[in-house]
Amino acid sequence: MLDFLFFAGLVLYFAAMVLTFVGMVFKNKKVTDLGWYVFMAGALTATAYLVYRGIVAGRLPLSNQFEFAASFSWGIAVILIFLHYRFHLEWIEAAGMAMTFLILSYAALQPREVTELMPALRSAWFGFHIGSAAFSYASFMLAGAAGIRYLIAAKKDPNDERLEQMDYFIYRLIALGLLLLTITILSGAIWAEEAWSSFWTWDPKEVWALITWILYAIYLHLRLGRKMTGTAMAWYAVIAVPVVLFTFIGVNTLLPGLHSYGTLTVSGMM
Amino acid sequence: MDKLWKFLKSMKFGLILLGLICIISVAGSLIPQNAEPMTYVRAYPDHYALIFSLQLDHVFTSWYFVAVTLLLCLNLTLCSIIRFRKIPGSDEKEIEAALRVPSVEKTDEKTLEEIRKYLRRIRCRETAGENATVYSKNSFGRYGTFLVHLGILLTVIFWALAMYLPRIIDRACMPKESIFLDDGTEIYVDSFSITDDEGHLDYKSVVNIILPDGRESGLKETSVNHPAGIGRYKVYQQTYGTRGAILVRDGEGHEDRFYVDSNDFLSKDGENGLLYDNVYPDFKEENGEMSLVTSTSGSYENPVYVYMTVEEGQEKEVMLAFPGDKTEIGGLEYEFLDPVEYPGLRIKESPHFVNALLLLSFLIMTAGLYITFFMQPVIVSVDQEGYTVLGSKPEGMRYELKQIVRRNKEK
Repeated sequence: MLDFLFFAGLVLYFAAMVLTFVGMVFKNKKVTDLGWYVFMAGALTATAYLVYRGIVAGRLPLSNQFEFAASFSWGIAVILIFLHYRFHLEWIEAAGMAMTFLILSYAALQPREVTELMPALRSAWFGFHIGSAAFSYASFMLAGAAGIRYLIAAKKDPNDERLEQMDYFIYRLIALGLLLLTITILSGAIWAEEAWSSFWTWDPKEVWALITWILYAIYLHLRLGRKMTGTAMAWYAVIAVPVVLFTFIGVNTLLPGLHSYGTLTVSGMM
Repeated sequence: MDKLWKFLKSMKFGLILLGLICIISVAGSLIPQNAEPMTYVRAYPDHYALIFSLQLDHVFTSWYFVAVTLLLCLNLTLCSIIRFRKIPGSDEKEIEAALRVPSVEKTDEKTLEEIRKYLRRIRCRETAGENATVYSKNSFGRYGTFLVHLGILLTVIFWALAMYLPRIIDRACMPKESIFLDDGTEIYVDSFSITDDEGHLDYKSVVNIILPDGRESGLKETSVNHPAGIGRYKVYQQTYGTRGAILVRDGEGHEDRFYVDSNDFLSKDGENGLLYDNVYPDFKEENGEMSLVTSTSGSYENPVYVYMTVEEGQEKEVMLAFPGDKTEIGGLEYEFLDPVEYPGLRIKESPHFVNALLLLSFLIMTAGLYITFFMQPVIVSVDQEGYTVLGSKPEGMRYELKQIVRRNKEK
């Protein structure tokens, strides 16, 4: 049942992405609308999957690479749905759906079995720290998606009236992501003091979270302080996405450290 | 001098420093930190000299990283002062000025009514003037960027204090024994367990911290994520180990229990006895051959002792034994007992005020970011012909009002 829900969500996201692209290319609103409803179905299925998995595991589904990726993808979908209904941002949908699908595809490549929560993760900070990280990364991914959309639109028509809106939402998504990443880092520091006795250990995950934070802090300084907007800032949002992905995937696979839960087994260590 | 001062307090300088911290951090994450020198010689045979000379083996405590951090603190201090001084004393002056500003965005009366409705719906304060009405909200938002910079500055300072002021001591201790610190503090370990009542992994010690002035914590549990503490001391459940236990009896009925480590030699005469090697958690039997399991994350399910008999000073043969087994060597009887699990504890002594101040700076920083981005000050002047969005960050409100104008045009 769990696997069925997971792959149903993945297939629905894929179908939604294809329909939305086709609708956009052929300027067919009906197809685009159909794509959106399929995407909503995918998001509902993914929600059901995460809730069901959480009930089976008896905890929040955030404990390993697979669960984090699934929640990360769900976070993108939730923000995308919020943007659709609150701000009617149709231009971001195709790129956002692609991001949702890609992250869930990455999750599909990870081991999916439900495991017991290891003692190191049994903390009141577990959901808060990891949940805010998932939504923070989701915001940054969507900012990147908006950046891609901006660059395509600007190349097609430099006078496209949606460009200002796109630029504004790149900035707002990055602001939201930075606030959530700050909460992630600071709650992680408090948790680290409870678990390891130190607020900060220069663990690779911490270092790359800091690098990501600085990168987006620089963006916001340029955007708000230097009033930089337009193509350069859209490129910035796009180029920063690989850094977010490296912080999530690269660090866990290439730079093992204290955060490598589920990939490192050391006898006698907790 | 003026130019230097101007540069030190500039955003440009701040961004350069942040960029430098990023670059140094990348190096620090890719090159293992604080390892033994030989680790670098083996891993980077062509570049280890460069690594040592650039202090890349400990970049986060290198002189240049500390220098960049100190300069960032200076820049943040100046930025915080500048931002604080730029905050207007009250929003009344801004509102008065807004009442005199002629509308910039011209639109029809119907749209203006929609805009007024929207501004009332989001609970803006209305100030009516002769020709215009000013709608204002979130005046506290003016403090946002100041609070962010102050929060970051305080975080860096108190974080550095929280990192370098505490004294950390890592000690292993057998249950029913104590750890004594040089200031007279005693940490008594009453018990240690690896699993909870339901058999789930849950590393837990029960300790009593007794301070030099006689105050004590009483028996308290310390487990992963839940340190026990009293006064300036916190005791963390850090690691654990398992030691072999052997009961030794002589012919006259005397007996003694020994917790043994690798290469411990138990003997009556120093010539004949038992040379302990290790105790393993479990074993496997395949095709009549036995192999030892070398590690586990839980308790030892089927412990296997490995030892050597020594006769006349000569090591004879490697032997295996299970708990309950007995052997006699050189006039002594050795009985192998169940191995004993013991905790590795981390003892941290730190002043309370640093943690409290660090948490306060976290709060200021987070609140500052929230206020900066999600409580932006709103000042909108609406007259008979149109509206004007004022304030330090008018973009969000400008966007919302544009949407109203666009929707009305579409209608």
